Amino acid sequence: MNNVNKIACLLSGCILLLLTACLLILFLRRHTAQDPDTTYTAYLYQDGQLLQTIPLSQLAEPRRFTVEAPAGGYNTIEVSCQGISIAEADCPDQICVLQGTITDSMLPITCLPHRLVIELKPDDAASGDAPDAIAY
Amino acid sequence: MNTRKLTNLALLAVLALAIYYVESLLPPVVPIPGIKLGLANIITLLVLRLYNARNAALVLLVRILLSALLFGQAMSLLYSLCGGLLCFIAMASVCRLFHGHFPELTSILGGIFHNIGQLLVALALTAVPGVLAYLPFLLISGIITGLFTGLCARFAGHYLKRLLMP
Repeated sequence: MNNVNKIACLLSGCILLLLTACLLILFLRRHTAQDPDTTYTAYLYQDGQLLQTIPLSQLAEPRRFTVEAPAGGYNTIEVSCQGISIAEADCPDQICVLQGTITDSMLPITCLPHRLVIELKPDDAASGDAPDAIAY
Repeated sequence: MNTRKLTNLALLAVLALAIYYVESLLPPVVPIPGIKLGLANIITLLVLRLYNARNAALVLLVRILLSALLFGQAMSLLYSLCGGLLCFIAMASVCRLFHGHFPELTSILGGIFHNIGQLLVALALTAVPGVLAYLPFLLISGIITGLFTGLCARFAGHYLKRLLMP
């Protein structure tokens, strides 16, 4: 019994450590993401394929377009120089629409039923693979 | 397996199914895919403590298959199965290690592994490494919801034990 208690204490310690580590990572990521000078490029993936990249800073006016899922269904995406969001979708859970507009690299938008991922990546961080062309 | 045990397990499986359905009606707490309360896990944890791992696996499988048949799609079945299986393996081993004590710890580990399993499926399906950004969120939510379901299982087990095993 004593041995079991010891393992339980150890396990609780590990869980607390994990919790602190996660919070720390989130805090640090938030800190770097909220730098106002950073410009972002949106990366749209479907089924692991890069559909298109949109440099937000080069966007003159807000755009709205629809991405069809190969297995049926659609996501209507709204993008402006501020950020990108899924305005409308016919997926069952609607989580992608609820997430709203993302303006930094904290969290990508994912529509799991349609296997669609929208990521914002800072332009300067990976200077090597900055997009030099807009693919539509 | 005698008739009484069979009936009890069937009842618990239906209870888990009902909890799962009611939970799916609630709006998502946080608009992040994969984060949910996982209240149906209370039943898995209970069966694990009151009966054994094999019976708990049976109840879990019945619940996942029935929920996919009744209200789910094929996609959610895949997530449920992978998350549920990983969560179950973690919980069964921890439960065995602690001889059924500390349901909160058991459930927290279950929650963590459930979310890791789901993220792995999401990673395999979308093939975008960027979805790993969800990992800290999912781990934190797994710990919190695991603690909650573990406490529920502790209190529910206190009363259900007398009902199920006179």
